Amino acid sequence: MSAATVSSAPKARGRWSRQAKHEALSGWAFSLPFFICFCLVFAAPIISAIYSSFFQEKAAGGGLFGGGEKTSVFVGLENYIVAGTDPAFWAGVGRVMLFGIVQIPVMIVIALVLALVLDSFLVRRRAGWRLSFFLPYAIPGLIAAIIWGYLYVPEVSPIAANLPELGGNPFFMAPQVVLWSMANMTTWTYTGYNMLIFLAALQAIPSDLYEAARIDGASGWKITTRIKIPLVSSAALLAVLLSIVGTIQLFNEPTVMQKLTGWMPNTYTPMMMSYNTMMGQLTPSGTGPASAISVLMALIAGVLAVLYFVAQRKVNK
Amino acid sequence: MSVSFKTPLKVTALLSVAALGLTACGGTTTPSATESATAGSTATSASAPAEKVEIAYMHRLPDGEGMTKVADIVAKWNAENPNIQVTATKFDGKAQEMITKLETDVKANNAPCLAQLGYGEVPEMFVKGLVEDVTTEADKYKDQFGGAFGQMTVGGTTVGLPQDSGPLIYMYNEAEFEKLGLEVPTTAEELEAVAAKAAAGGKYAAVFTPDEAQNWLAGQAAGAGANWFSSENDQWKVDTTDAGTTAVATMWQNMLDAKSALVVNRWSEQWDAAILDGSIIGHVAAAWETGFALDTLDGTAFEGQWRVAQLPAINGSAMTGPDGGSGVAVMKGCEHPAEAMAFNAWFNTQVDDLASQGLVPAATAAATTPEKMSRQFGGQDVMAELVTANENTNAVNYIPGFSAVGPKMNEAAAAAGSGTGKVADVFTAAQDASIAALQDAGLPVAN
Repeated sequence: MSAATVSSAPKARGRWSRQAKHEALSGWAFSLPFFICFCLVFAAPIISAIYSSFFQEKAAGGGLFGGGEKTSVFVGLENYIVAGTDPAFWAGVGRVMLFGIVQIPVMIVIALVLALVLDSFLVRRRAGWRLSFFLPYAIPGLIAAIIWGYLYVPEVSPIAANLPELGGNPFFMAPQVVLWSMANMTTWTYTGYNMLIFLAALQAIPSDLYEAARIDGASGWKITTRIKIPLVSSAALLAVLLSIVGTIQLFNEPTVMQKLTGWMPNTYTPMMMSYNTMMGQLTPSGTGPASAISVLMALIAGVLAVLYFVAQRKVNK
Repeated sequence: MSVSFKTPLKVTALLSVAALGLTACGGTTTPSATESATAGSTATSASAPAEKVEIAYMHRLPDGEGMTKVADIVAKWNAENPNIQVTATKFDGKAQEMITKLETDVKANNAPCLAQLGYGEVPEMFVKGLVEDVTTEADKYKDQFGGAFGQMTVGGTTVGLPQDSGPLIYMYNEAEFEKLGLEVPTTAEELEAVAAKAAAGGKYAAVFTPDEAQNWLAGQAAGAGANWFSSENDQWKVDTTDAGTTAVATMWQNMLDAKSALVVNRWSEQWDAAILDGSIIGHVAAAWETGFALDTLDGTAFEGQWRVAQLPAINGSAMTGPDGGSGVAVMKGCEHPAEAMAFNAWFNTQVDDLASQGLVPAATAAATTPEKMSRQFGGQDVMAELVTANENTNAVNYIPGFSAVGPKMNEAAAAAGSGTGKVADVFTAAQDASIAALQDAGLPVAN
């Protein structure tokens, strides 16, 4: 571009703007597929969900069966008030929070350790290990939950059969334990995935840093704690944020466990509550109330993500 | 590299958080379309030749091994009725998911003409305006069906025809009963005594199944004479505190307290293990369970030892109650309701074919006991026994929104089963959830 601007200024300006226009146009054209997809699969459902969260299906007529017709009624913020004042909703939020506070650090630490070990010269056949750690993530979440379910049911499990019952429930399915039974499932599934994030960040560290450290006489342990771990902190941010979001959306595991235990309510996690509201298993039911729960949870997830982001930046400074 | 890597990564992180967080709400608006679009397209393509009409029929029948397949039954009809061609599609999913699918299909104007609906779901579908009024058509076929005809009628409007019914019965292992010197119980008190004696011998003649609580306990209450849902001054009246319901609660509470009833979920590994190792020797079951409950015993020493008896009289009532059962309704927007109903009536009177699917047909024509059932029940004429139960059924007038009542009942039943709650709580939960469901749907309810 510098070559073009060297020649006489006014002439260049006219040519330049034509070229810029052309460039801008083709730029937009190139990004068009993205914007179309973005609007179709991302923006449109969100807008539709937010819109429908202000409506409720109500009986149109009178009588015992409401005249056999339903109409969509604008109810303002009522769906949000119903969800926001429902203790079952907040109990569900509390459960996923507790889950996240315990499970996320455990999983992130294991993932980091695995990544550091794979990145060091301690292991041979790195690709094989990497694949085997990552493999659980490739198994569909529901299938994984069912596999773990079989390990939790005393009648078919080699482990659970030897554990005591708690309050009339099998050990892994008791109210005190079930949250951690699910935490175990998600840790198993996502540790390899997070490890991969860390590994990618580790391998992006230029090797001259290590060489310089070695010349300065740093040991392998020092290199790990002083160079590797600080330099993957932004990868940790990504991993933790993704985990927070995953925790908020906890659905497969509790749904499978509900089937196995029988005592878990339809509101055990907020996403289960939203789904069951949609399916008419909870009232008020329908798209409106279900969307309101989802939008609330999206907001909570957003707030948590921003809080974590800010906190981490403060710590880094 | 590592330094410049930081900032973009953070931005990407935040963006992806936003993306994932928000898809959560986007996801719920997407209908779960598990079924191919063929069912819908055939319904709308009725613009074919003037005389020939096409009818789409969506069902949830098991279509299992050794059964007369729905497609084969339908093929018979299609061969005889070239002008009314029916396409049957099986919905592979839960009943509740099929309801959601039908709801979106009706809105999109491509719903199948005929769809299988549970009796408990019919009022709900009617309230949502998803079914057609076919009262005049249905009345033509009324005399071919028994009492279940009323289950397809909502406030005087008939929306389809009944297919099968699931009266509660008592099934037991005759050989084990003889070994332990037990008599088949005919009253609640006798059942308690039999269960106590069996438990002393290390067996269970009664099983409490929390995951089936909704229809199972509601059916027992109806059998005991309860009428939970009635109307008064054009308002719903909910009452689960009657003598019949209380008797059901007392009976199960006694057996739970005495530890003479086994507590397992009906659809669990625990159940499968307990039936296979012979610890369950008796169970209050829905009639449709006779179609498959003993399949795992084929080839074992227990094969052919089980029998079917009537539900023991609870609260002195010799009646039984419904546990499940479904009909085939005409969906809103069906262009040929008369032709659809003609097929509907024919299909649901193919009693032997339906019996092979493990159903107790709602039609009055008696079905012969399928060979498999006869073998599993030691040559007993099971169908005759089930028809008797069918005739002695005290119907439940389901409220719209009954599907939201079930989860609360099941939850309370699980608590009762593990000893942290009482069986009576199940019925309190039913009362509260029913009133809430009616109010939330904007329907009039007396408190």
